[in-house]
Amino acid sequence: MFAYDFMRHAFIAGTLIAIMCGAIGVFIMARNLSFIAHTFSHIGFAGASFAVFAGLDPLIGLLLFTLLGACGVGQLGVRVFRRDAAVSVILSLALGLGILFLSLSDAQGSFTKTILFGSVVGIDLQDVWQLVGLTLFVLLVLAVGYRWLKFDSFDQTGAEAAGLPVHLISIGFLLLMAVAVSVTVQIVGALLVFALMTVPAAAARFFTQSIFGMILTAALLAMAGVWFGLSAGYYTNAPVSFYIVAFEALSYFVGLLYQRVGQMRRGEA
Amino acid sequence: MLHRIQMNHLSVGFNGEEVLRDLSFYVPVGKMFAIIGPNGAGKSTLLKVLLGLIRPQAGEMVIEGDGKPVIGYVPQSRPIDEETPIAAKDFITLGLTSHLLPWLTRAERSKLKEIMEFTDTEMLAKKPIGRLSGGERQRVFLAQALIREPDLLLLDESTANLDPGAQEEMMRLVFRICEKRGVTVIFISHDLAQVATYADQVLLLARGKYVQGGAADLLSDQQLLAEYYQHEPVDAAQKATLESAQRQAMFH
Ligand SMILES: Nc1ncnc2c1ncn2[C@@H]1O[C@H](COP(=O)(O)OP(=O)(O)OP(=O)(O)O)[C@@H](O)[C@H]1O
Ligand SMILES: [Mg+2]
Repeated sequence: MFAYDFMRHAFIAGTLIAIMCGAIGVFIMARNLSFIAHTFSHIGFAGASFAVFAGLDPLIGLLLFTLLGACGVGQLGVRVFRRDAAVSVILSLALGLGILFLSLSDAQGSFTKTILFGSVVGIDLQDVWQLVGLTLFVLLVLAVGYRWLKFDSFDQTGAEAAGLPVHLISIGFLLLMAVAVSVTVQIVGALLVFALMTVPAAAARFFTQSIFGMILTAALLAMAGVWFGLSAGYYTNAPVSFYIVAFEALSYFVGLLYQRVGQMRRGEA
Repeated sequence: MLHRIQMNHLSVGFNGEEVLRDLSFYVPVGKMFAIIGPNGAGKSTLLKVLLGLIRPQAGEMVIEGDGKPVIGYVPQSRPIDEETPIAAKDFITLGLTSHLLPWLTRAERSKLKEIMEFTDTEMLAKKPIGRLSGGERQRVFLAQALIREPDLLLLDESTANLDPGAQEEMMRLVFRICEKRGVTVIFISHDLAQVATYADQVLLLARGKYVQGGAADLLSDQQLLAEYYQHEPVDAAQKATLESAQRQAMFH
């Protein structure tokens, strides 16, 4: 399968994106932002559709809309968006806008499918460079901001008392999450961003209580899922994102089981 | 090292309601300083002012030392996310923010080891903090504050939920930090016997106002204490504090 350019590209981009998703996912879970990440992916869908309508690169539309979304969430405060109602209003509005822009443009049905469900076919070299560049950027920011971000994510009271700029960290993280979502949408699609950004991180918590351990585990699970998805998709023609989602879901349930068995051994549950 | 901690005519209010009123006092450096007073007196608020989390509306606060003073803080309450259980050791490590390298340096690793030994938290290293007992948790919180190598340590009712043995252990630990490392300690407590034992200086607050300050023997003035712990309108919480203070007075 590596005979094809697009498969090689998909593996390179997919691997890096998976590592990024594992790393950022741990913080998304710790900060209770998984539904906001999901909302961003829908805003991204509207953005990509808008870009097609306006004759721009879809990635530009994705980034533009999700970054604006991040600023909006940052302005109003994350807490507002933890409410189900706020999330469902924005989600449906974003989907509606996406549909509107698509109907106004002359986009093909296949584009809709790609942006909603992801696709690896047709990733050309330029796309790969863009994705790799953005992914490395996110990873670099995560590495540099690691100490502050983990303090603020796992112990907000402590971080505030230590004098960390918690407001800045919060906004910065939302913006970073917007970039990460925009990139991830390209692989798994807007509807399945959960699969790479939150499920591996959620599963990782069953296996370890160390923060770095969680990041490592989540990244490995995401990576394994992407490799499995790409290979299985290549040989069976079923959608790659289906396999990725299935793999991650399985890892989650295995984790749950692992935790339960551990608790039973210790005589807890 | 700190040189001076002083408050001059400090006032703090929330939505027009004054919580601290024209408060002036100084804290002797390198000593144990207790803040006491009934519920709602403004004790926790005062610590938050010292931390810089709350800006006073009037007055000035001076905390001077060699360089920028580092403050360690153990808050009265702290939400712990049971969903994302992180190991006690990681929780302590969070306090290390003097630089941005993603990994721990050799010096930081030995510091971590030393602090965990000192606070007797080695056995808890791998346990998720959500599963620790109240006393174990307080030691972990203290360790996180200590790993920052503070010049000033602020403790907000750190022994409130501990059994008598654990309270004693905690206070001895804090006392050693003060004595051996020259850290200035400001602690809030409703346990007047404990305050009498450990504090060099005491500040009594009531409804945001300075009532009395001085050496710990002001606590032997039963009349004063009774007056200020009772003159507050007595609601259920205050009554409980009062009763426990009286019980303690009986036992000691
Ligand atoms: N953020 C806030 N907004 C409005 N009022 C506040 C705020 N924080 C504290 N207060 C009020 O300030 C007063 C003092 O509160 P504080 O927490 O400092 O009391 P305390 O002395 O620590 O009491 P306790 O012994 O119960 O801990 C209380 O009446 C409280 O309602
Ligand atoms: Mg208080």
